[in-house]
Amino acid sequence: MELKKDKLTEALLLLRGASNVILPVSNDGAPVFKLWDGVAEPCLSANTSLPPKDLLFPRSEKMYDYNVKTGNISEISSNKKQTVFGIRPCDVRSIENLDHAFLESGYTDSYYKTRRDGLTTIALACTETARTCFCDSMGLSPNDAPGADIVLNDRGDAYTVKSNTEKGEEITRLWKSLLSKETGKASKASGSVVCDFKARADKDLPEKLVARFDDPMWDKLSKACLGCGCCSFICPTCYCFDIGRENHGASGTAFRCWDSCMFSDYSRMAGGHDPRPSKKERLRNRYLHKLAYFNLRYGVTLCVGCGRCVDKCPANLDVTRAMDIISEGVRADG
Amino acid sequence: MSEKQEKMRQCAEKLLRDGEAGYVIGWGETRFDDRTTPIFVEDPAGAGAFVWNEYAINSLAKYLLDDKYPDKKIGLFTRGCESRAINRLLKDNQIKRENVYLIGVPCDGKKSDRCTLCRERNPILYDVLLWTPEDDPPPAAGRFDRVKDIEAMSPDERYVYWGETYDSCIRCYACRNVCPACNCRECYADMSKTGFQGKQHSRSDNQIFGVTRAFHVGDRCIECGECERVCPMNLPIMGQTQKILKDINELTGEYECGMDATSENYLGRFDLDDKDEFM
Amino acid sequence: MPVEKSFEPAIVAFCCNWCTYTGADLAGLNRMKYPENVHVIRVPCSGRVNPQFILRAFQKGCDGVMVCGCHPGDCHYSTGNYFTRRRFMIMKRLLEYNGIDPERFHARWISGSEAAKFRDTAAEVSEHVKKLGPNVKYREEFRITESAEAGT
Repeated sequence: MELKKDKLTEALLLLRGASNVILPVSNDGAPVFKLWDGVAEPCLSANTSLPPKDLLFPRSEKMYDYNVKTGNISEISSNKKQTVFGIRPCDVRSIENLDHAFLESGYTDSYYKTRRDGLTTIALACTETARTCFCDSMGLSPNDAPGADIVLNDRGDAYTVKSNTEKGEEITRLWKSLLSKETGKASKASGSVVCDFKARADKDLPEKLVARFDDPMWDKLSKACLGCGCCSFICPTCYCFDIGRENHGASGTAFRCWDSCMFSDYSRMAGGHDPRPSKKERLRNRYLHKLAYFNLRYGVTLCVGCGRCVDKCPANLDVTRAMDIISEGVRADG
Repeated sequence: MSEKQEKMRQCAEKLLRDGEAGYVIGWGETRFDDRTTPIFVEDPAGAGAFVWNEYAINSLAKYLLDDKYPDKKIGLFTRGCESRAINRLLKDNQIKRENVYLIGVPCDGKKSDRCTLCRERNPILYDVLLWTPEDDPPPAAGRFDRVKDIEAMSPDERYVYWGETYDSCIRCYACRNVCPACNCRECYADMSKTGFQGKQHSRSDNQIFGVTRAFHVGDRCIECGECERVCPMNLPIMGQTQKILKDINELTGEYECGMDATSENYLGRFDLDDKDEFM
Repeated sequence: MPVEKSFEPAIVAFCCNWCTYTGADLAGLNRMKYPENVHVIRVPCSGRVNPQFILRAFQKGCDGVMVCGCHPGDCHYSTGNYFTRRRFMIMKRLLEYNGIDPERFHARWISGSEAAKFRDTAAEVSEHVKKLGPNVKYREEFRITESAEAGT
């Protein structure tokens, strides 16, 4: 099936009738995910600078209201139907990874689950890659998003539409009048995109990383790190949060908000002891989580190779450099 | 360009070989031609890793705080902005002058927005100067231009302007971590239990972080522009600190920070005949 | 913003223990009446007032904030209020720059004998703030803005 590009707006309006539609729109030329107003032109030229993870895991999220006098606790949940359009294969995989952490770790996070159940993903395969992209090194393909409900492939004047799930089928039914048979000729080469950059993500990388926990290379790798939370907050797969409370007399609200393992108060314990006192330990933990711990637990690499942290790091640190060093078994200064 | 780079490498190598410095901080390559990353070289043989080009942008002085009690001196390539940052750190008693060896490298301007406001290309503090000083750029007539633009708005417009600005702040604190004036051992923003700063993402808390940070550093800001360079959301952070500098300039005359390591910052001293609006 | 007729502003006054607080006390002894919506917080010196207190007061729902200390030269600790003067000259401008109405923040020197000045200042500030209506800027009722993307 395919969807002609001139029917895209119509297709989006149909979606908008059934749920909130979130898609990338231009913000000073850079695409950002926004709630679609039905008018704005989708900006699909490049991936967004911020990932769409806050659709499922907002930066701040109210959890429950309470009153200590009455003992009342009322849970706050959001069960809005949301459809995200134009999400890239790397970000689709990041949602699968978040699912592992929030739904399959032995505890089901109800806040996440409600949002996840209401979310439909319409992925758009990449037609070109940015220079920081390395998703195909991480076991993904920029040409397909098997975890998305629908995958669109740009074929020049039309998108091929492939549905992967029941939610996807629902949308193809919704779009029925707009879809046509595939013509077979593609004027624009999509489906054969490769990332220019290759990271060294060998199969034994997790074991190698863990084995080099005490390696002096971590000192070297972390020296230029500023210790800010930029990489965590723009990462599509960072899911750490902190829980806080806002009190007003007897009543209050509990909320959770994003936290970063690069912050000094992240691993500080009640007595003041911090097992990760400096940026060396914090950076090591972050890299190991992305490239080793998650693998060992869930069998997939948490890092999806979107390259956002490589692009935005104020000190121009590069996670792939650590991967190279480990894979080649060289010392950091070698 | 490469001649200067060669001078830098030779100087670093000599310092390391003679044992004058324990390590040297400079700029090194990344996998992109148009980016550099700060590097820390201990081995004289590694001095060839230093690069000097229009992308050697990052300010290096803040890294001195990671090693306050070094065994040997720390060698540091020092441009105008680094030298002012070092004055800042010296004044704030964060580092000792005898612990650093400053290799002066007059700057020819880098490919960064932060250099458009630059008025000090040559280091004002150094142990050795590697080449002849550059001409300083013409005095930036527009030092406070954008502050004036914002001042021209109505109060409600200003509130909306800053509110919308801070709505996109992700509170990664990169601005704080890169700032040479932000040298508290522990930042108030990391002490969420004290109640000064809510950790949640909201317009109110983001604004309070922005205004508080501006006030904490405003009278000590060296205007290096690093906060704006590192901001992943490209927020106009210096619009706040420069407002404070502009007010100080108007209240007491010419005021600039980091030009020496001794003058007390504006809010750390007083004059008996300061202007008074509170009678 | 439409102003409700019954609106009574909440105003916090940070008062130096050695002068303004005594001045307020004297006002009470003399049976002077000042608006009851001015809430006095005693501080050891006006130099104790951290500018973050002001921000936090607005965030927590105050409609106006006063900082009151000894006249310059009269500080119990000799120089505290000279620092206060510089600090709040800057802070006042920064608040205005960020869109807070200048009438919502006041700093005043009021000595221990100036009971009437305390009463008049309190009344004046209260009157101004009442006219402005409730403060919404920096207010935390508007907090936890879930991102637009989340569509809540």
